[in-house]
Amino acid sequence: MKLRLCLCLATISVVLAGAAPLRPARRPHYGGALRVEIGATLQSLDPAGVATSREEADAKAELDALLYDQRSEDGTFVGTAGSGPFRLSSWEAGKRATFAANRDYSEGRPFVDSIEIQLGRPAHDRVVDLELNKTDFAPIPPEQARQAIDRGVRVSVSQPNELLALVFLGSRSGKEGTRIREAIARCIDRAAIVNFILQKEGEPAGGLLPHWSSGTTFLFPTEMDVRTAKEIWSQISPSPKLVLGYDSTDTLEQSVAERIVVNAKEAGISLVSRALPASGKASPGPVEGSTRGAAIRVDARLVRLRMPSPLPRISLTVFINRLGPIAGIVDSPVPQSASPEDVYYCERSIMNSGLIVPIVWMPQVYGLSARVRDWKQPAAGEGWPLADVWLDSTDPQ
Amino acid sequence: MRLLPRLFLRRAFIFSLLLAFAAASSEGQAAAQFPPDWMNAVGLLADKIAAVTKRGEGLSVEVKNISSLSAADVDGLRQLLVTDLSRRNRRVLTESPADAVLQVTFSESADGYVWIAQILGGDKENVVMVSVAAPSHRASTKEAPLTLHRKLIWEQDTKILDFGILGEGTAGGSSTLIVLDTDRLSFYSSEDKGWKLARTVDLQHGRAAQRDVRGRLDLQAGKAELPGAECTGDFQHPETVTCSSITTSADPETPSQPIAIQGRSVEDYAVLAGACGDDSLTLASGTGDWTEPDFIQAYGGRNLSAASQPIQVPGPVLELRRKDGGKSARVVSRNLKTGVYEASLVSVSCDD
Repeated sequence: MKLRLCLCLATISVVLAGAAPLRPARRPHYGGALRVEIGATLQSLDPAGVATSREEADAKAELDALLYDQRSEDGTFVGTAGSGPFRLSSWEAGKRATFAANRDYSEGRPFVDSIEIQLGRPAHDRVVDLELNKTDFAPIPPEQARQAIDRGVRVSVSQPNELLALVFLGSRSGKEGTRIREAIARCIDRAAIVNFILQKEGEPAGGLLPHWSSGTTFLFPTEMDVRTAKEIWSQISPSPKLVLGYDSTDTLEQSVAERIVVNAKEAGISLVSRALPASGKASPGPVEGSTRGAAIRVDARLVRLRMPSPLPRISLTVFINRLGPIAGIVDSPVPQSASPEDVYYCERSIMNSGLIVPIVWMPQVYGLSARVRDWKQPAAGEGWPLADVWLDSTDPQ
Repeated sequence: MRLLPRLFLRRAFIFSLLLAFAAASSEGQAAAQFPPDWMNAVGLLADKIAAVTKRGEGLSVEVKNISSLSAADVDGLRQLLVTDLSRRNRRVLTESPADAVLQVTFSESADGYVWIAQILGGDKENVVMVSVAAPSHRASTKEAPLTLHRKLIWEQDTKILDFGILGEGTAGGSSTLIVLDTDRLSFYSSEDKGWKLARTVDLQHGRAAQRDVRGRLDLQAGKAELPGAECTGDFQHPETVTCSSITTSADPETPSQPIAIQGRSVEDYAVLAGACGDDSLTLASGTGDWTEPDFIQAYGGRNLSAASQPIQVPGPVLELRRKDGGKSARVVSRNLKTGVYEASLVSVSCDD
């Protein structure tokens, strides 16, 4: 019995010594300033103000969530600035902002005393600053996550919850329109986009919901099929020249658009990419844009959509509401009490229309300094939980 | 010569009876291990498959598991589905040629399990599916020289700061559970196998809410303390307890002196009276932060080496305190799956 006890204790000690990291005490501490860097150059934090790009709109929504306690039904923030966990204590438009902890916040005072936000910091500089411990928190584009990890940055990656999709703008209908859409959808090499452009941070998308949310993505193929795409395209006469639009401020969209053009060329499809003026809305922009006064006609455009909830029914409903008017999708409602089967058939009917071509699912990636504790990756639809984090040491160095 | 066929028929009949019994028995075993909602879901899936196939149609079944279900569970569910399909006059074939291929995929979504059947025959494909709530984590127990037991006493949505039980184990007497949370002090009397609310006393806070509020019950002194509030009275008689706001600036909790356990500094621990040959045992929780599941483990001896297997807690341990008498520890934790706060007692037993 004694020998068995000794062996057992020895085994436990070895396992624990090997497995348990030697980390400091875990009870949260109050105090310190959290240093944050973001890429957007926000000119205003007014929830009613209009953002000039998708990046600005996303950043504004995250920061407003820290200042405002209430949201209206459409998701915009309302009420008094400072009713949230933080109050604005200084503001320099487009450059920096300081938020101070709201001591009277109904859910308890945030752990950190303040947040110092630097605006307009390019992605590469944010990664460098994380590496040099010059900042505590910064969003990182998914395509740069691997590089940041390789440089020793502490990185938090969410489940893939942002869809990059190609939306046809409903200008071509009938059999010809169906063939064009099918040929394009089949020629796209999604795996290459994930592997080379996104540096493996993401997954090919075949449907409007990611696998972790719906569990049904294997029912939507994602493989490229150049031979069939060629066959279908050869049935279209005369072959049209197509234009694919992308957000001019979004380098990822540009890279993906250029890759799709290459894929299309391999299938004999005539497709060119064009930059469109940035849209401040999180939802896709207009059918036509203009650059330097000249109107640009596009047949399809790339859009990014973030899931508003982990629940498949809610996300699909919001996606349909956003994309439906652009793609000309009518009458694909998701019932309030939809079962997984109902959600699947709704998703299937939209996929069958070919008006939306899902390309990739991307995660949200954040870089964190070593002193940030209790960081929990926000779930789909949740804001940055900066009121919940605390700093292991109030001294940044 | 004429006896041979008759004998053969009799043996064949007995053999088929045995086979039927074995099949029923294994089906029963498979069924017995599953929750009722799983059984209902398999039945519903069989109904849906039957609705899109023809009576007597031969189906070859292929099963794929892309969920967190174990291989044993998937095997059992497959058996159940095959039996349910047979009851609906669908022939499940192990070899080709079949009229259609039935591909069953055990998948998982954000809501729970999704079990999907694709029926592939000719040019058409039918897809039917059912959803099932995922069960809570099944705890595994391992043999250890000294075993920790966690007994859940109470759970609630509001953050529990501390709890205690008075009159526990007294012959014939009822016991009282006292729960201190951020908003009130609640007294529950034991009734049958549960607790019935006897009285609540709202707290008058003198300070704005904190994000990490700590509070403490001292049952012997008849006192409950938390930042900005204090309750006093005879806790045996809840009607005598009153709460008032106070203006102390510090938390009532005096941090205990950190101790070193296996090279790490531990702030939260509880020292229990000796058990199983050890003079004393120290219980401590894990090393993660408040976003992770946790564990509690006993350490003993001069070097505080591990003396038990860890017991898993489905969320961070927020408080770990010695219970009066020192035979067990009061544990407050937050279940990350349900979001509720749990009050439990952790005790020690010896495996001899």
